[in-house]
Amino acid sequence: MVPRASRWKWSRLAWQRLFLVLLWLGHGGWVLMGPSPGQHWSALVESLSWPVEGLASRWEAWRSSRREGALETSHLRAERQRLQTELAELQRQQAEMAPRLAEAEEAILLLGLKQQIPLELKAARVIFTTRPAAFGGLILDRGNDLGLAPDQGVLAPQGIVGRLWSVNASQSKVLPADAPNASVAVMLMRSRATGVLQGLGNGRAAIRYVSNQEVVQVGEAVLTSGLDRVFPRGLLVGYVAEVAKGDLELKVVVNLSAPLDRVHLVLLLPPHPPQEVQPPFLTSQPVPKAKRGGA
Amino acid sequence: MRIPVPTLMRQNLLCAAALGLVTLSSPFPRLQLVVHAFLVLALAPRQGSPLVGALWAVAAGWCLEGSLRLYPHLGGTAWADLTMVLLAGWMAGRWPLEGMKGWLQRLGVFSLLLALLTHGAVRLAAGPHALGWTWLWPVLTVPIWGWLGWRLLYGQSASWRP
Repeated sequence: MVPRASRWKWSRLAWQRLFLVLLWLGHGGWVLMGPSPGQHWSALVESLSWPVEGLASRWEAWRSSRREGALETSHLRAERQRLQTELAELQRQQAEMAPRLAEAEEAILLLGLKQQIPLELKAARVIFTTRPAAFGGLILDRGNDLGLAPDQGVLAPQGIVGRLWSVNASQSKVLPADAPNASVAVMLMRSRATGVLQGLGNGRAAIRYVSNQEVVQVGEAVLTSGLDRVFPRGLLVGYVAEVAKGDLELKVVVNLSAPLDRVHLVLLLPPHPPQEVQPPFLTSQPVPKAKRGGA
Repeated sequence: MRIPVPTLMRQNLLCAAALGLVTLSSPFPRLQLVVHAFLVLALAPRQGSPLVGALWAVAAGWCLEGSLRLYPHLGGTAWADLTMVLLAGWMAGRWPLEGMKGWLQRLGVFSLLLALLTHGAVRLAAGPHALGWTWLWPVLTVPIWGWLGWRLLYGQSASWRP
């Protein structure tokens, strides 16, 4: 086998010179690297790794932002779920409290009405209504146990409801003012003309026996006149809805102000009340019916 | 008259002894510097075969820096020694010695060059540092170690011809 040095025609002196050159260059390079040779390699590696570091940094920033976004989204979802649960609970509580709240509001109105009428009033709760049926009425939860008697006037905060029709031991039936067989002595607020209110059903009634000579305006308030000795003078009945000339008398249709289908608590006037009391409901214009929340 | 070159064995033995002295004289920096210059400039250069002298010079430089020189980055002295020994060997072949006077003159110039080159190389390798006056010791003692080197290398073949 021929040695490589012979094949390359390199003499021993050439190898020595090559070794010397490498030795000198190695030492020179080592010296020129300076007091901290590691920093050159660090700088070189840092320069070479700059693109990779940039990409890795951006990749990590993207992942971090994505992670934070996902975390925030999960927090928002949890928060939304919690709020939905809380909202459902509040709605359930509100639904539970709505009847009691409405009843409480009605009781407050009744209490205010009771304080305004200087009579001994009794309260009762409407437990059932048969108004949709023929000759139907409202069933109260009190009867003889409260000392009730037929023909006592029944009031709601918005106006009169009717009169007691029949009374038994623990319940009583109210004949509403819009019943065809009901009649209430009324008068018009401005003209002071008197008449008799007869029911037409569905919360409407007509005033009979008002002369053609009277001037009646639509929207005029209709009050009790006290002549029937069931209601004292001045309690609000309703508002004039239609006025038409008749042959002998005016045809006056009245919208009853009391919500007969939604009344829950009523006040009972004493039997044969005095004719004059302080009217609590005197208003010149129709009052919008109060909204009831929940049920 | 051409002065004969000493034998390689004699030169290597002298270099080994000088390298030992460089190591042993580390508690005495001025003396160590003189012995180091003696080894690098007088004993190691050899006409025609620079590799052996270069190795002795590199060893002297590393021994010098590795003894008491607490530089942050070693290697400057070895590089300077290597450069000077190659220059001295090349000059010995290019302009052969003719007497001790030329030998001393050449050593004086070489010692100055060695001091400057060492300072520059160490400055490159280890950073800025004070030059001081220690470098003057090898220069000022050139007649002593130059005469000694002449006697040890060429004493048997050359006569005293100042």
